[in-house]
Amino acid sequence: MSLKKVYLILVAGVGLLLSGVTSAQFGSGNLPDEIPFPMDFETSTEHYDYLLDYYKGGVEHDYLSVPKWEGLWSTGATNGVNRPFFQEGEIVEDVLSPEYEAAFRYRLDLGGEAFNAGVDYDRLTTCEPAGLPRWWIEPYVREFLNTPTYSLWHNDLANDARRIYINQEHINIDGTHYASGDSIGFWTVDDELGDVLVVHTQDLYPGDFMRGTPPTSNGAESVEIWYEWWDTENQEMRIAVNIYWYDDLALLEPINIIHTYRPRQDMEDAGLRMRYWECAQNQNTYLTYDEEGRPTTQYRLPGDEGYLDPRGTPATRNPDLPPGLTGQEKNPVFDDAFDFIF
Amino acid sequence: MKITLKKMVVIALTVISFGAVGIASAHHSFAMFARELEVVKTGEVVRWAFNSPHVAIYIRNAEDGEVWAFEGGAPPGLVTDDPPMNGFTFQPGDNVEMVVCPLRDGRNGGAIGIIIKDDIWYTPNDGGCGPDFDAWRDWYPKGYMSKQAALDAGEVIEEDEM
Repeated sequence: MSLKKVYLILVAGVGLLLSGVTSAQFGSGNLPDEIPFPMDFETSTEHYDYLLDYYKGGVEHDYLSVPKWEGLWSTGATNGVNRPFFQEGEIVEDVLSPEYEAAFRYRLDLGGEAFNAGVDYDRLTTCEPAGLPRWWIEPYVREFLNTPTYSLWHNDLANDARRIYINQEHINIDGTHYASGDSIGFWTVDDELGDVLVVHTQDLYPGDFMRGTPPTSNGAESVEIWYEWWDTENQEMRIAVNIYWYDDLALLEPINIIHTYRPRQDMEDAGLRMRYWECAQNQNTYLTYDEEGRPTTQYRLPGDEGYLDPRGTPATRNPDLPPGLTGQEKNPVFDDAFDFIF
Repeated sequence: MKITLKKMVVIALTVISFGAVGIASAHHSFAMFARELEVVKTGEVVRWAFNSPHVAIYIRNAEDGEVWAFEGGAPPGLVTDDPPMNGFTFQPGDNVEMVVCPLRDGRNGGAIGIIIKDDIWYTPNDGGCGPDFDAWRDWYPKGYMSKQAALDAGEVIEEDEM
């Protein structure tokens, strides 16, 4: 029996946790069926342990057998992003806790005024890490590298990487939380889904990770079910994830979100390779704040104080190097005619 | 209604942008760009920066001889655009014509809408500037230097072109 069938039987008696949360499709392409919560769990850890028990501890892979998801992948379809929280211009009721709904409304009101006035906060403007929620949905490309002991998943967005430690326990010797949290997981085989990677993430720090979604608390955690899914409409294999998002402080009940990722051989063929995103060097937006603390987006031009050359700047070179040292230009490809002094 | 590939892309991007409340569009506000103003700039490329999170092009403006700076979309989207672009598409010394959305504060910069080089029309733009591609295909040969000039001359943007 597949996990989904077990879920359906259990759910019939338990009822959906997600009243008020639609699973309407968002994005491009089909979505796989939602894998509902099998029952009401008190914590994400309880949920993960249930799955670990259900799959009898999972399976151990070696380098030959571990599922290979190499290549470049971009976002496919999703029913998530802000849809669980905001639809048709209104905050969806009975999803957020009163305190976080009020905070979301406060942020949206400011954001609404702000967008046309240049007051639109985005954590990436100040080079804060993108964070896990954004890792799932940003429209850049990803690499999924799986090994028997851990998966290392890169996102082109802001050099964000996830590490999922396979068949291991959570470890936090640092005494803090992180933008991508601490992730563990196990591989298994589901009768219906095939190879499956179940992931548990905790120790996420709070953040207004994305524009247009509610802030998350330091209690946010997730359980994820990752698998390969055949998209019949597009006739291609996609990677799908069913996310169970827990946040005791921000949500009345955990929510269920689906994302898919599509292979981008066309981008590989075009020569695209993921590079290091030098956030502090290659963008020239920044924020100023008015007396009420509201940020305003500003834009530096060549000649402005603090302007940074997108092609690379000597500003971060070791100032103790001798001036004029040959071969220190970051961009020797072109004989640039750029005659500004940065 | 005639729906071109370009229109479909614009419509799809618009839907995604609004559906995601800007999440999918960029990593900062576009509020500093006057997206309602679309003007033509011509000049010589002094630098083309094909970098994440935004590409940028710098041209020596033929009108005033000054260097103007314009920001565009992210490289992953440009390499599979039609026509595709890469880090060598625009090189110092190339002559280009551009449709841009200028900075609201009037300084020498803005957002890229369209870049024309050797009669090839490139669209390395993102939410900072979304000129109507088909309308400009019609307007540009007629010599209009701005969207407003075209509209003042009686040109219309067909509804199905929006």
